Amino acid sequence: MNIREMVEVLNGKILVQNHDPDEELPRGGAADLMSDVLAFGSEGMVLLTGLTNPQVVRTAEMAGINVIVFVRDKTPPPETLELARDSCISLIRTGYTMYEACGRLYQAGLPGRGPVRIENNSW
Amino acid sequence: MSEIKLVDLVQALDLTVSAGSQELEKSVTGGYASDLLSDVIANSKEGDVWLTLQLHQNIVAVAFLNNLAGIIIVNGRQPEEATIQKAQEQGVVVMCSAFPTYEVAGRLYHLGVGR
Amino acid sequence: MKTIHGDMSTQEITKVQELIYTTRVESVMASNVIAIDPSFTMSQVKDLMRDKRISGAPVVKENQVIGIVTISDVIRSMEEGKLNFLVTDLMTSDVRTVSKDAMVTDVVNNLGRQGFSRLPVVDQDGTLVGIVTTGTLIRSLLMQMDKSFQRNEAEKLYTYRASHIFQDISSDDTSLLLRYFVNEKDFDNAGKASSLIKRSLQRLMLLPQIVRRVGVAVYEAEMNLVIHTDIGGEITVEVRKDRVNVSTVDHGPGISDLKQVLQPGFSTAPEWIRDMGFGAGMGLANIRRVSDVMKLTSSPGQGTRLEIVFNFRNDSLATTRSPQKA
Repeated sequence: MNIREMVEVLNGKILVQNHDPDEELPRGGAADLMSDVLAFGSEGMVLLTGLTNPQVVRTAEMAGINVIVFVRDKTPPPETLELARDSCISLIRTGYTMYEACGRLYQAGLPGRGPVRIENNSW
Repeated sequence: MSEIKLVDLVQALDLTVSAGSQELEKSVTGGYASDLLSDVIANSKEGDVWLTLQLHQNIVAVAFLNNLAGIIIVNGRQPEEATIQKAQEQGVVVMCSAFPTYEVAGRLYHLGVGR
Repeated sequence: MKTIHGDMSTQEITKVQELIYTTRVESVMASNVIAIDPSFTMSQVKDLMRDKRISGAPVVKENQVIGIVTISDVIRSMEEGKLNFLVTDLMTSDVRTVSKDAMVTDVVNNLGRQGFSRLPVVDQDGTLVGIVTTGTLIRSLLMQMDKSFQRNEAEKLYTYRASHIFQDISSDDTSLLLRYFVNEKDFDNAGKASSLIKRSLQRLMLLPQIVRRVGVAVYEAEMNLVIHTDIGGEITVEVRKDRVNVSTVDHGPGISDLKQVLQPGFSTAPEWIRDMGFGAGMGLANIRRVSDVMKLTSSPGQGTRLEIVFNFRNDSLATTRSPQKA
């Protein structure tokens, strides 16, 4: 699935575009906890999140994530847009909840990372 | 779509049940995924199954408060002992999956939950 | 004869697309807009246009745009002998405006497809704050393209220069020391040091896997300084030939039970921090996972020191530089 197709599936709107719409997305992931993103985020993954503060962009930058989708029609503050432009991260907004956005993308063929093996509740 | 029960999810997604196994006949009318308790309190709906990687016992209180069908803890993590105990007391179903939120939501949606 | 046509490379087209999708109208408009009072006659409009060298202007009553008058309206009034008519009689009153917060895509749609040649820009209250024409639009997009082009070129140059430092400087064992200062509770700048560290390591051309591991660890550590200390702290990154050493030092409250804070899920962060997506008690666990050595020392009142080591597992692969052939 490429960025353009994802935006269609999510009925989304591109807020900051730093990537070619034809760029392929390897997998999807969803989280609100930034440590989770840092631990499980993989290069190129699309991150679906309910948070819109600038730290989400920073976290994505650190985890090598290029595309962030804000769920439930949340409009990020200007600082977030600014930082995304600066850090070469693309931002997209969708009206769906995180659950439904995941559901639709998975249904449309965007894979996840598979089961997680952890020890001791750590990651 | 016919009625979907928690027990159907447990079977289809191979979930382990940590608490509330006597309540698996509850029906599931939707799904909600979030790791922010305040978001879940404000936006989840009665009958939703809630996907989170939070383990703290507060999740039981939130599920109870909003009359959620149950909780699925994702990413292969296990609830804390206090969480299990509280869930048993309040009849809240706590299930676990080795998969991350994205795929658990994807599979539930595919089953017809929340569509 | 050669014809010049739109032979832009795909990359350049994407750049323009990106700019029109991500630039706000406010930054491409002309803000010294000349507005015309409804009491003006067409004759006065004609004089004004000549004096100011403009070909159209919005007509504004009590800060609200009520119409637009252009040079063709002036010509029409001359042809029809209506120069003494009021501007409100000849202006176009079905006027399309655009919000200053809208994206430039909106302007492009209106200017191009709908055939308007100028769009008054308004704020939330509908007050006129500027105007965009094809001219102002092209001028500012060209300027921005130039800026980002320059940024890319500069980044290449920095990378070239930085990545040669280990070859250019002679010593038995060269290491590069980077220091960053982190302020407590400064959430606007939280993560900035990590971002700079990541970019610096990229410029030094360390392997992407190493850059990523250091980035994750240093970001978690930086957030700890921001969230948990009351006077901030310092991050030091030492880049060596075979490893990266990171240490964070703070003079914060210190930690009484080190075992407890190393437990995954243990956190003292308040609810509002958790609502920002932090404070889930996984930071140190994350750092430990991505690093080769992690050492935490602290006691109450004495501050906290965190040392993290990342070894380059295959020395020959420590950087993406190709080995020098003899």
